[in-house]
Amino acid sequence: MATPTTDDTKAPGALRRYARMLWADKLACAAALFLLMMLLFAVFGPTLLDGAASKQNLRARNAAPFTLERGFLYLLGGDALGRPLLARIIVAAQNTLVIAAGAVAASMAVGATLGLIAGYAGRTTGEVIMRLADVIMSFPSLLLAVIVLYMLEPSIGNLVLVLAITRIPIYLRTTRAEVLEVRERMFVQAAQVMGASTLRIIFRHILPVILPTLLTIATLDFAFVMLAESALSFLGIGIQPPEITWGLMVSQGRQYLTSAWWLAFWPGLAIILTTMSLNLLSSWMRIALNPTQRWRLELGGKRND
Amino acid sequence: MKHTTALAGLLLASTTLSPAMAQENTDVTVVLAEEVDLVEPCMATRSNIGRIVLQNISETLTELDVRGDKGLMPRLAESWEMTGEGTWRFHLREGVTFSDGTAFDAEDVKHSFERAGSDQITCEISRYYEGIEITPTVVDAQTIDFATEPAQPILPLLMSLLTIVPSETPIEFTRDPIGTGPFILSEWNPGQDIKLTRRDDYWGEAPEVSGATYLFRSDAAVRAAMVQTGEADIAPSISATDATDPALDFAYPNSETTYLRIDQNVAPLGDKRVREALNLALDREAFIGTILAEGTQIATAITPPTTLGWNPDVKAWPYDPEKARDLLAEAAADGVPVDTTISLIGRTGNFPGATEVFEAIQAMLSDVGFNVELQMVEVAEHEQYYSKPYVEDRPILVGAQHDNSRGDPVFSMYFKYHSDGRQAGFSDPKVDELIEAATAATGDERSALWSELFAYLHDEVVADVLLFHMVGHARVSERVDFTPTIATNSSLQLSEIGFK
Amino acid sequence: MSSMLGKRAVSSFISLMVLIVLVFFLSRLTGDPAALYLPVDASEAMRDNFREIHGLNDPVLVQFTHYITDLVCFDFGDSLRKARPALEVVLDSFTWTLQLALITMALVSAAAIALGSLAAFHVGSWLDRLASGLSLIGASAPDFWIAIVGIVLFSVTLGWLPTSGTGTVWHWVLPIAVLFIRPFGLILQVVRGSMITALGSAYVKTARAKGVRNRPVIFVHTLRNAMLPVITVIGDQAAALLNGAVVVETIFGFPGVGKLMIDSILQRDFNVILAAIMVTALAIFLMNLLIDIAYALLDPRIRT
Repeated sequence: MATPTTDDTKAPGALRRYARMLWADKLACAAALFLLMMLLFAVFGPTLLDGAASKQNLRARNAAPFTLERGFLYLLGGDALGRPLLARIIVAAQNTLVIAAGAVAASMAVGATLGLIAGYAGRTTGEVIMRLADVIMSFPSLLLAVIVLYMLEPSIGNLVLVLAITRIPIYLRTTRAEVLEVRERMFVQAAQVMGASTLRIIFRHILPVILPTLLTIATLDFAFVMLAESALSFLGIGIQPPEITWGLMVSQGRQYLTSAWWLAFWPGLAIILTTMSLNLLSSWMRIALNPTQRWRLELGGKRND
Repeated sequence: MKHTTALAGLLLASTTLSPAMAQENTDVTVVLAEEVDLVEPCMATRSNIGRIVLQNISETLTELDVRGDKGLMPRLAESWEMTGEGTWRFHLREGVTFSDGTAFDAEDVKHSFERAGSDQITCEISRYYEGIEITPTVVDAQTIDFATEPAQPILPLLMSLLTIVPSETPIEFTRDPIGTGPFILSEWNPGQDIKLTRRDDYWGEAPEVSGATYLFRSDAAVRAAMVQTGEADIAPSISATDATDPALDFAYPNSETTYLRIDQNVAPLGDKRVREALNLALDREAFIGTILAEGTQIATAITPPTTLGWNPDVKAWPYDPEKARDLLAEAAADGVPVDTTISLIGRTGNFPGATEVFEAIQAMLSDVGFNVELQMVEVAEHEQYYSKPYVEDRPILVGAQHDNSRGDPVFSMYFKYHSDGRQAGFSDPKVDELIEAATAATGDERSALWSELFAYLHDEVVADVLLFHMVGHARVSERVDFTPTIATNSSLQLSEIGFK
Repeated sequence: MSSMLGKRAVSSFISLMVLIVLVFFLSRLTGDPAALYLPVDASEAMRDNFREIHGLNDPVLVQFTHYITDLVCFDFGDSLRKARPALEVVLDSFTWTLQLALITMALVSAAAIALGSLAAFHVGSWLDRLASGLSLIGASAPDFWIAIVGIVLFSVTLGWLPTSGTGTVWHWVLPIAVLFIRPFGLILQVVRGSMITALGSAYVKTARAKGVRNRPVIFVHTLRNAMLPVITVIGDQAAALLNGAVVVETIFGFPGVGKLMIDSILQRDFNVILAAIMVTALAIFLMNLLIDIAYALLDPRIRT
């Protein structure tokens, strides 16, 4: 009954229908546009602006924001070496999004899979997986970072690996908890009685129910990963200059917080806005993909409790 | 009945308390960046421990004057002289007692020396006595001889680092330090604070400060805020960006020197022209007053200008990118692989603005045609590059900071420049000879030899890329009277603090 | 129930052992503590002596055997840097962390469940949007930023609260406020999400169809069904706090286990790292046990 089917997305005109539903939710629409912009920054930013973003100019050191004197790129001010913050934020979008998306996607995929197995398979398997989660959870993430980055090169790939491993337990435990609950529900038991295969039950009946919760956590985790990455950079492990990420910019601006707030503020704002947009979009998606809720958007977003 | 006594007590307390409050509060609170792991006298050369222990709890035989130019001053020793080839005699002060009540005598000095050098504990002071055979002999209660082999001309200076503990002190790290100083350790709550209280039976003049509380906050902005709100009186190190209040903030040379260490064994850094180009490529002036605080000095030696033998005739490298490019082209024409990628290793948080400084250096070097890749690392990894055996799979410049506030280059030169030094990047027989000669010399000859060495290293060998003598910033509340000095990094004498 | 307890204890003990072995061997691959402990100009002889005193010259397997034999007698070894028993060092800090975590989580859970359910009952209302918006900003704002702005605003400018340190109740306000923000945002979102799901589920619909118009009854029904994921997330957040709140501890000078852990890792103080892991793991084990009991109480079908 509450199982959303994917069939109707394939129908002709589905795209237009979703566009209309997106338009109905103005906030989600703005969020989508913002994310699209960040995506464009991430793809084209480094090629277009790399020179401007790394050109040092000590005379524009900590230049104040909101003046066009030094040109459009200095609209948000300059950093401690006089590099334009706007250009740096645009260029940094690539590394930031690759790391955050990579880490979140990897930890969610691995965590949810293990969680499904733990919740659905036999007791022993479940128990082993849960203890594995305990080990990861108790393993200090900083120590993991020191070990991995000390023995391997500090590269983006390895950083994604470190961040992904530390976030697995969250998804694993949440998925398992939800599976334990959902598999007792009537429709799942009905499907079982009717002889549906385990895989079919998982993919058709269980996954769709737990996906919203996972997505909610994932969008928030996005911000967490960006900030965790900044903490690692601050301690000297993780991404280091001249590479840039928003997290690194935030941690580098930290010492100027009381004298030049904009150094840490703008990249921090970029992190906040990206996370908020993701969250708004995911809550829109939760409604748009759910046939029993969809009418809310199709009626033009009229409120009804 | 009970009520009345309680009331009387309360009254009594209020009458005794309020005048004291009204009079003057002679306690100070000092907020430091780094918590101390130990309050062990023999570890007092470690700066965070020294700031609490040195001359406050534990005293030394001699003391280097950092406020005036009196040089080495007597402390627990009243005088000293050389009595024979390599033998120093110290005449000790009489009437000095330790805080546990025992009298101070030559046996205590002997025990303190032997304890610091014992292989059962790892006291840091002992590294300054490495390679010298030193034999202490007690002559009488107030006199002690130190025989040195080879002759050690600066032994009295080394004695300014040896903290004296009673002869009963066991050879293991103590958590209850006993010393002859004007203060005792009265309370220690690990992680929170350390409290010192003034002793009544101190041999010298009683300090104005009656007690000190040390707090630990790693964030510089918080330390500055604490003095501002009155939660602390002295913050010996705050960040330059927070030092904005001229009434509270002092800048002082902190005896740290930054430089890039060059490992000459890997091409192209073995070529002198390449090293000159490295030096010419940097616009050192541009850093000062921008990324680094106003008052930072351009370095021409690894030790600050207050050191013996510092050579005023050595001129800093000019900023000449054209010449740097020419030198590189010349070297390239001779087959030197100048376009090899050079790693520039920096340490995150090494000093305020470290990352920016190294980013700017990388940009300036790239500008004249070097192929430099910046790598900022944490402390343990940095140490791998900094000390021998070196990583030699690629040419490496190690950005580092060196501290010498001890007045003599001997504490730096051997391990930075001698062929056998742990952090030397090259091997030059003339340098080795000069270091050995200067170490054994005294007086003007010693000074002249060090000067010669400084010039030779800077102009002839082009041993490294010297950068800056750094400045620190302290914030001092308006109720106390205290001026930081070049030694504030490594000691903070409570007796030098007054009240306004 | 007691057999479940025993099984849990055994399996947790096994995972703790796995953890110790991993940490012991892996951490020893990350460099020589002597190089960090001794000054840069210390001689090779001094370094060797340091390693000898602390048993770091032995083959790693021998070191491990020593460590385990001592551990059986509850000897966690000494801290390399502090020259005192590692367990003592850790327990000193852990007391602070525990207090901080307990107070914060109690406040966060109460606030997030209340506000989250309200938001779920009124999806799309201004309250819902405001709660979501604020919680999101809170959850994604850099915590050191909030901490320093908090100090500048409330301590320096307004003079209402002390900047940092411990002592009075007022000293706890800023650290707890900063710690509150992130878990609050996350838990609020999960409460809201799973309450919405539960409101649309069969039980509640049945209850409504049966004519239960009483809001409190519906609320209790829904909350009960929505609690499982919420408790999981609360548990994870509490575990994160028990591992130490590094930024808050660093900025506010709170002597907790997070700062201790970071310092010990950066300085390679192996015994302290291991002792800290064991102490926090034990705390987290006990907490997870409580969570499982809560599961069983909330949902009788899971009870075994």
